[in-house]
Amino acid sequence: MLIRDKAGLAILFLMPMIMVLVITLVQDFAFQSIKENQIKLLLLDNDRDSLGIFIANGLKNSEYFVVTEKLNGKTPSDDAVHKAVAAGDYQIGIIIPAHATQVIRSHARAKITRIFMSLKINTPLPIVDDTDSVRLTVLFDPVIKSSFKNSILSTLDKFTSKIEAKVALGEFAYILAKMFNRPITNLHFDDMSIVQLNPSYAADSKWSIIPNSVQHNVPAWTMFAMFFLVIPLAGCIIKERDEGSLFRLMTMPGSYFKIFSGKIIVYLVVCIIQFLLMIAVGVFFLPILGLPQLVLGSNFAAMALIVLSSALAALGYGMATGVFFKTHQQAASFGSISVIIMAALGGVWVPVHFMPQVMQQVATYSPLNWGLNGFYDIFLRNTGVSGILPDAFKLLAFFAITSGIAYVVFLWKRR
Amino acid sequence: MKQTEMITVNNLTRFYKGMNIPAIDGLSFSITMGSFFGLLGPNGAGKTTTISILCGYLKATSGEIIMDGIDFSHQQQLVKKIIGVVPQDIALYPTLSALENLRFFGKMYGLKSKQLSEKIEYYLRLFGLENNSHRRVETFSGGMKRRVNLIAGILHAPKILFLDEPTVGIDVQSRTVIVDFLKQLNREGTTIIYTSHHMEEAEQLCSTVAIIDYGKIIAYGNPEELIAKNPECNTLENLFLYHTGRDLRD
Repeated sequence: MLIRDKAGLAILFLMPMIMVLVITLVQDFAFQSIKENQIKLLLLDNDRDSLGIFIANGLKNSEYFVVTEKLNGKTPSDDAVHKAVAAGDYQIGIIIPAHATQVIRSHARAKITRIFMSLKINTPLPIVDDTDSVRLTVLFDPVIKSSFKNSILSTLDKFTSKIEAKVALGEFAYILAKMFNRPITNLHFDDMSIVQLNPSYAADSKWSIIPNSVQHNVPAWTMFAMFFLVIPLAGCIIKERDEGSLFRLMTMPGSYFKIFSGKIIVYLVVCIIQFLLMIAVGVFFLPILGLPQLVLGSNFAAMALIVLSSALAALGYGMATGVFFKTHQQAASFGSISVIIMAALGGVWVPVHFMPQVMQQVATYSPLNWGLNGFYDIFLRNTGVSGILPDAFKLLAFFAITSGIAYVVFLWKRR
Repeated sequence: MKQTEMITVNNLTRFYKGMNIPAIDGLSFSITMGSFFGLLGPNGAGKTTTISILCGYLKATSGEIIMDGIDFSHQQQLVKKIIGVVPQDIALYPTLSALENLRFFGKMYGLKSKQLSEKIEYYLRLFGLENNSHRRVETFSGGMKRRVNLIAGILHAPKILFLDEPTVGIDVQSRTVIVDFLKQLNREGTTIIYTSHHMEEAEQLCSTVAIIDYGKIIAYGNPEELIAKNPECNTLENLFLYHTGRDLRD
């Protein structure tokens, strides 16, 4: 019957493929490194000294930003920077106040002088006032996400800390040179990063897959497509009941289990075909569109287990829905809404680790999340069968419970 | 049980969930082997419920059914092998062709491919469907659907055949073919249990009838004898109206 229903088949197979394609393209921006999506930044350097130059060069060299210092060929005023960011022409505006470097320098000199004084060593420099502070104005377009805002502030903080240290060391060298009346040469403060960060993803040592929109969306929408089979499966059960075919089947020799398992086998094949098509999209088609290629991992037994257990969980849910509801409309409404809710909770749209803590807890109750976790384990961590067993077990338990409910309700309705 | 009795029903009762009044209320009757038994009654009398219980689709709330010497409640699977069912609804898959439907249901009855193909071919020809066997059932006329519906119930040559209004809503030609076939099938030894609103058809076909109303049998016996017992009724339809009244039913 499924083969005859061309429109139904198109929905079952093509729609998930289109969904994964569209959503992956849309979400790719969010998963890409910021480097690939440069942020427009308007910089007003009123300092024109070390701090301003250091920040300007740092921002330009970071490759995260397109740094602009002129508006219509002129250096903008503070007010113009405010207006340009407020208008959305720039996502970020930075105003470095005049004499900022001088203030930093004064602070450094004052602190060093105090150190020498506490050691009873006279310095050739007078104590200067260090009560001023430097206030860098950082303006954000309201659409900028707070997480991104924090990372910008952190980057600027790093720049200012570096320049403060550099100025302090420069001043220290200057004072020493004055005290010993000898020039100090060969001092380079630009390469002071002794501690280097080496970011990498924790996984099998031979396995270093960077999470991206493809690695998330292909398994996520595969899970969604499998669970969306609830609608045709429930519809098939209700149609069979309404049209009388079930009546005929029930009067034939053979157990009810045979009727149930027949449907599960057919739809299981559909699920497997869906999965293979989605994988094919991820491996072959998405790279053509400039997206990363889906990396499958090397544990095919684990993959088969998670596909089968996810498919069975979805089909058990479909059977229960079909048996429980009286009309196709009821089943379709309930099926689609409940699957969408489970998908949202399970991290299909937004990965669970982006969710608030409470929702992350709630997500652990969604069967789509169990399946998705299993796929993550295989695709991103190259986990074997033992690693995905807890998720597979939960899915199979869900199948056992839902199909058990379907069976009991089916028998109960005939009593 | 007498040797010639194919079906014995004792005190059969069925309550639907949430209903205080039984759909069938202590029905007891027997059907002789090879007879053509008519279960007649107005809408909502309990005919379809009775058939649904006798063929294993519904469970009886209480009562006993013996078919061909087999206790139905204990050996339902055995009984299901010897019965055929032609439901009131067209119990076929509309998007499949007639041939595919018949193959599917034939296989469900455990018929082997060669035997099944021969039977399908025979019945399709007998019912004038051989040229349309590859067409989807949903494209068929009402009469054609009824004929395929009938074939699906007799492919496995059942000893007992249940027919729930097999000729409802079809043209005279299709009805004639079906009625003639049922007569032939009965002559060949099949016990037929049949429900209908066509009293003329029932009078023509049935060797025994049970008129049922409000879940109880109100008349039972050979149609001619029943008519003879009621001189004011000269036809089965008159007898039916005499027993069930002229009030409209839901």
